[in-house]
Amino acid sequence: MRGTANPKLMLMILSAVFAFLYIPISVLFALSFNEGGLPTVWTGFSVKWYGELFRNGDIMGAALNTLIVAIVSTILATILGTLLAVGVEIRRRKGRFLETIIFAPMIIPDIVLAIALLSFFSLLNFTMGLHTVIVSHVVFNLAFVCSVVRARLKTFDWSIVEASTDLGAPMVVTLWRVVLPVMLPAVIAGALLAFTLSLDEFIIAFFTAGAGRDSITLPMQIFAMIRFGVTPEINALAAIVMTVSVIILALSQRLNRGGLPGQ
Amino acid sequence: MTESLLSIKGVEKHFGAVRAIDGIDLEIYENEFFALLGASGSGKTTLLRMLAGFEIPDAGQIILDGKDVSRIPPNHRPVNLMFQSYALFPHMSVAQNIAYGLEMEKLPKAQIKSRVDEILDVIQLGHLAKRKPDQLSGGQRQRVALARALVKRPRLLLLDEPLGALDKKLRGEMQLELKRIQHEFGITFIIVTHDQEEALVMADRVAILKDGKLLQSGTPREIYEHPGSRFAADFIGVMNFFPVREVDGKLIAEDGSVIAAGTPLSAGQQGVAAVRPERLSLTIKAENSITGKVVATAYHGLDLQVHLKTPAAPEPILMRLTASDAEARPVAEGDEITVYWAARDTRAFPL
Amino acid sequence: MTDRKPLYLMTPALVWLTAFMVVPCLLILALAFFRRGIYGGIEYTFTMENIALVFDPLYAGIFLKSAWIAGLSATIAVVIGYAAAYAIAAAPSRRQATLLFFAVLPFWSNYLVRTYAWIVMLNREGLVAGIAAWLGYDGELPKMLYTETAVVIGLVYNYLPFVILACYAPLSRLNPEIAEASRDLGGGGWTTFRRVILPMTVPGIATGFVFVFVLSIGNFVTPALLGGGQFQMIGNLVYAQFLTANDWPFGAALSMFLIAIMMGLLTLQTFATERASGARRED
Repeated sequence: MRGTANPKLMLMILSAVFAFLYIPISVLFALSFNEGGLPTVWTGFSVKWYGELFRNGDIMGAALNTLIVAIVSTILATILGTLLAVGVEIRRRKGRFLETIIFAPMIIPDIVLAIALLSFFSLLNFTMGLHTVIVSHVVFNLAFVCSVVRARLKTFDWSIVEASTDLGAPMVVTLWRVVLPVMLPAVIAGALLAFTLSLDEFIIAFFTAGAGRDSITLPMQIFAMIRFGVTPEINALAAIVMTVSVIILALSQRLNRGGLPGQ
Repeated sequence: MTESLLSIKGVEKHFGAVRAIDGIDLEIYENEFFALLGASGSGKTTLLRMLAGFEIPDAGQIILDGKDVSRIPPNHRPVNLMFQSYALFPHMSVAQNIAYGLEMEKLPKAQIKSRVDEILDVIQLGHLAKRKPDQLSGGQRQRVALARALVKRPRLLLLDEPLGALDKKLRGEMQLELKRIQHEFGITFIIVTHDQEEALVMADRVAILKDGKLLQSGTPREIYEHPGSRFAADFIGVMNFFPVREVDGKLIAEDGSVIAAGTPLSAGQQGVAAVRPERLSLTIKAENSITGKVVATAYHGLDLQVHLKTPAAPEPILMRLTASDAEARPVAEGDEITVYWAARDTRAFPL
Repeated sequence: MTDRKPLYLMTPALVWLTAFMVVPCLLILALAFFRRGIYGGIEYTFTMENIALVFDPLYAGIFLKSAWIAGLSATIAVVIGYAAAYAIAAAPSRRQATLLFFAVLPFWSNYLVRTYAWIVMLNREGLVAGIAAWLGYDGELPKMLYTETAVVIGLVYNYLPFVILACYAPLSRLNPEIAEASRDLGGGGWTTFRRVILPMTVPGIATGFVFVFVLSIGNFVTPALLGGGQFQMIGNLVYAQFLTANDWPFGAALSMFLIAIMMGLLTLQTFATERASGARRED
């Protein structure tokens, strides 16, 4: 590829694309420190909106709910997804049906999964709340964890398992002392990915959280704030939410040099 | 081989601080099969890419048919390259790959078709015209890559390690095949290779490159029999070396024996005397002789290779006995033998 | 290793996926063929009415509009994303990973926040208006927020990083000698791109396009926030059937239609990928 392209044109394209990607985000960040809170007039640097944010009980409650959902669903998804990944990769025979089921949660449109779960829970007369959100988040999270771990196992030299067995180790010891250490970075990377996906997920939570205020998650709160009256606190909230997910995912990327799904 | 087709004059190319090509002058003639021979990092590939137009020299000229082409882009040069990876277009059939370059010349469709058919006959792949590259064997891909470059009838055809990806047997066949095709088309070929045997077998003339400089150029025979430097002597074929010092017009080896050489060293100079294994003999008495102990023998069908440990050289000396000689005078491991060779077969190089 | 062990490892996850994905999806499929009850419930009698309703001219407008917006967004995202991926792949190799990282970084942040950023940009008191005023433009600006254009901008913005990733993959795998071969055989820069590079990277383009199209056509957040409820997409229609109109069977039929569109496009994409399969075997 190199040497076949006009360097000036390439630089122009990159500058334009990065400007398009980063200007809106940067504006939000800048705005969150604007004392007046208005987008057009800069009235001075202030962190007062961050203060307002932490005094807002609705937002703090939603943030707590989101943390609960993200932590619980990540733990469940990491266990299920890792076991699934090891199981699929050990199996020599690759089933097309199995692959489809594992792949589906990642590509199925959110809205379809959301209404399917809503119908399912309400027809079974489940009381909906945070627990149904958790159950639903595990569905896509386990698929992502599985795909990250599988990517790692693809380059795993299975003959070292045979070597461990040959040296007299029982299967459980082999899994614990040979397979797990090799997989661990990928398992943590997958868990971090699942955690941010869950933190940011809106549509499925929106449909499966039920009616009460008690089960509102942060993205649901943000949606409501954007839709019904924007207050300057939202800039501060947006800046925090964005920073948190980017940090966690950058960490995940570092741990897992094999790359995230889609790469 | 009448007039100069290509003149490379004082060409230099730097990549940062690295002098990839450090002042090269070379003449290549019409209808020649020319080999650029060198180890990796010698600059041979950079030189080839400059001839093709993918790199522009920092200094010097590349004159083709009397015109300086060094700044003409690759798509406007009457020069074609057969890539090391073959670089066949994977989404096009064999015929489409070959037609591509002719379409670029905006030739009429009928003419393109007849020229493609014609070249498919030459490479004997007419029956595979509709196949995609990934449905071909390595040897077939190589032929298609050759045909794709050749069909444009370039003034100069460049081949970058053309046989590198083939197995040994196929390589031998393709060496002959390439020579046949070059004769048939009367096009000048320049081949880049790190394989000295390949260069000797195929080329009319060979240039040895080292560290971006031209070490020596000449016919394979000249280079083999009269290497211009210790490096060339070592790089081409197999050579036995004896460390020597010049004393009063004579070359004295480490054990004190005197070696007579066809080329002299200057007074008091340190150097090496060199002789090819096939020039050593057990029976024909000559100016030089050395006695040693056989440490290993290896049977190669055509000849018996004998490794001889002598006090005159740090490494064992290699000699090749023809099958009949070996039968006349059996040699076994542990034997003490004396070998002879002529002064005219001996070269001396300063260190 | 016996073949029983993997099954035992996979069981918990497979049970979970079956209970909370396969069964609910089959349920939706079944719902699409039941009748809507008088008071919004479900009557368990078989009917094709919901399926027929999907193709009712009443909704043709919404479908066409959705397809138009999704198609437009996908096309723009692919053009920009391909250009960006090409520029990244053409950069010195030690810088490519960094460039790619920063191109994808925004994709990892909250979707709602990224969409909200464009409300701030396109607002009457927003940055775009501010820049226009600063440049000395004092006339009435055309309305930007709550328009079709705003929705398209939002969709392109949100999905662009994915398209860049999808297009970068085949571009970076391209053997540089292939492009050089085309130049060597007399092809100019544009010809080389059109006849060699572009056909070999179709799989990336197809993946990017299908992804943006499917997610856009089923989107209800962006039309709600940036379109201001001015018009509906299929996603909004599904949303309405479940949360306001209470016509679950019709909502189910609509979402089956979404899935059908997705499967159709994925099949086309597989086809495109197979056609360019030679390109994939280069690595």
